[in-house]
This record gives sequence, structure tokens and C-alpha cells, in this order.
Amino acid sequence: MALGGIVRGKRTTLRTPTEDDLSAYSRWMADMRVRRAAGVWHQPAMPATWKERLKEQAKEQRSVLWSIDADGRLVGLARARVGGVESAPSAHLQHFIIDPDQWRKGYGWDAALALHRYFFDYLDLKRSGTELRGDNVAALRIAEKLGYTEFGRGHQVHYRDGSYVDESWLLMERAAWDERFGKTEREYVPFGSAR
Amino acid sequence: MFGPRIAGENGIELRPPVLEDYKLFTEWQMQPEVTRFWGPRFTTETIATAEERFKRHLESNDSVSWSIAYGGETVGFTGIFDISWTDRDGETGIFIGRHELYGKGIASEAIRLRMAFIWNEMRLHRAHNWIALANQGSWRANQKAGYSQIGTYPRSWFRSGEWFDEWLGEAFPSTFPADKLPSPWRDEDHPK
Repeated sequence: MALGGIVRGKRTTLRTPTEDDLSAYSRWMADMRVRRAAGVWHQPAMPATWKERLKEQAKEQRSVLWSIDADGRLVGLARARVGGVESAPSAHLQHFIIDPDQWRKGYGWDAALALHRYFFDYLDLKRSGTELRGDNVAALRIAEKLGYTEFGRGHQVHYRDGSYVDESWLLMERAAWDERFGKTEREYVPFGSAR
Repeated sequence: MFGPRIAGENGIELRPPVLEDYKLFTEWQMQPEVTRFWGPRFTTETIATAEERFKRHLESNDSVSWSIAYGGETVGFTGIFDISWTDRDGETGIFIGRHELYGKGIASEAIRLRMAFIWNEMRLHRAHNWIALANQGSWRANQKAGYSQIGTYPRSWFRSGEWFDEWLGEAFPSTFPADKLPSPWRDEDHPK
């Protein structure tokens, strides 16, 4: 765990983060467009602090961090907790950030689909959960398309732009993945009877 | 940080924890009688690390912790954690470690005192929590202090052959019942 390996989408690739990615991470966390849409992974900081954060992330037992590339350059990051001792094996998507300069190019959907393929087709998880701000229309649309449904709604949770916004709590069950993508999205071509 | 002493009714009070309380918490969390709706009953905590945890909570700038006392003895703990100072929101929790005292209204009183402090002294905007749906005593105690249900998380965890859902709740200053405001905030000579 800790630092994620390569997960290939059609247009994006999730890969192991490196120190070279950190200046972009810091820039995104300082970008008001990102901060309006979602919570930041960490606050903006000096390069040495970001290097420490990456080292600490590498030690994490249950959360995994990926950088997201598209067209040969870094365009985002994703971070999820993976586990389940008392509960069903599950993921909790904590951060999914696309560089605001790269929004509306379909990278978010492509990377999200690849990441959920990894959750369900590779790790065999039973569910995935996340929280999204009630007015983050792009993220809510991706979540709905993946198969997430709302199980709770916090009222007036996040404060920005002088007012509060709700938070939508979402859950995607394995059955939704199987129904929508199980036949088309595979990490590997099944061996089938040749196994 | 640790919260101040707040005296309630029926011998119940919130008070700042001491190191001995943290040693008790470590023991309680390993007992089957109190972990049905709690954690996995294993831990990295030991009596020796209780002091580290005590200092960590004391120095924390995004939480307020109390011990719950009943008849002068520490019987549990409560607090608000992961406070977002920009959203003015935090997650509340409560744990009664002495299972023979369940049903005596200790949790209800502790929650009432805690919420009065949060709204009147911390000026928070919102508080939220997750509670096992089967743990009716706990979420009803929260309801009495103004929490309402905003969702149900299905099949959250497994105990003894059955899955447990979770009750998701939130509260605001305006939902705290005015007639339940404890002392000192209800006192006529208390400065408003």
C-alpha cells in the first residue's frame, strides 16, 4: 500500500508519485478553484515539507496515493483508504483532484473509472465510499455514472465564498460495478478455460 | 485540548482527563461488554503508551476531550474531534467504559453538557456523528440534545452473525433544546 502502482485508463494513467510531482501538488492545494470544489490533501507548504509528507504517506498502512498522468504530463492525484476488518473489504476515496487547468477534458472520468476497476476487478473490494460537496456538479456526475448512490446528506457542512454548502455521502456497491462495467472493464483478459 | 469541568445532574460531570483515566480507557476498550458497538477489540495502545496519547490529546488543536465522572469516579469519555475551524464543524463521540452503569442516563447527561459547551463556548456551527443503529440508547441520547438523523450507512460492520447499519446524525446550535440548557449558562447571574 502507501504509494500506488500503475493503473492504466484509456487516456490517463495512475502511477507511483515522485518528489518531482510535489510542486504541482502544492500549486493545486493553493488554487482556489480546487479548494472550492473539494477538501485539500494538505495545505500549501515549502518543498521540504512536501517531501516529508510524501515520506509519511509512504509509511501509511491503509491509505494509498497515486499521481495521475495524461498525455505525458501530471494532471492530478488520487488518495484512498483501503481495508476492512470488521466491515466488508472496501475503499474510501479521500481525495481526487484534477489540475484545474485540465478540467473539462474527460481526465477525471477516465482516471476514476480506472481506479474503480482497480478497486473491484483487481482488489476484489465489495464497496467504495466518498463524500462530495453538494455543488460539485462535475464530481457528482462522475460518481453517479460510476454507480454511487447517496446514503446521507450533511447540511451546511463546508464554508466558503461566504456561505455553507451541503455534503453528499455516497456509496457504490460491488453489484453496481458488476452490472455497469463488470463485462467490459477488466484489468487483465481472463484466462478462462485455458487456465 | 481538554475541556473544563462542567457539573451536571445526578452526580454526573465532565472534567478534564488525567493520566490515570487514559490507562482505564486502554483497558475498557479490550472488553467484550463495551465493544459490541465500538472498535475491533485490538489495539496498538498499551498502558505505557497511554501517556503519549494523553499528551497528544492535551496538545491537540482540533479536538476537545473530557472524562465523564459519575459519583466522583471516571466512567467514560466524550469529546469533539477533527474540528474544522473554517467550517466550524466537528465529529462528536462518547464511550461509557463501565458497562454495569448502562441505562442510568449517564450518556444523555454527558452529551447535554458537552453540546452546551460546544454551542455556548466554542461557537461551532455544526456537529455530526456516526452511531450503530442498533445502539438505540446512544443515538436517542444524542437526539435529546438536538441531533437528528440525516442518513443510514448500510452494513457498516459485522458482529456475531449480523451486519450493523450506522445512524448518521447532525446538530446545530438552533436544535439544542433551550429548556435543557445546563448551568452555568442558564443561571440568571451568568453573563450573556
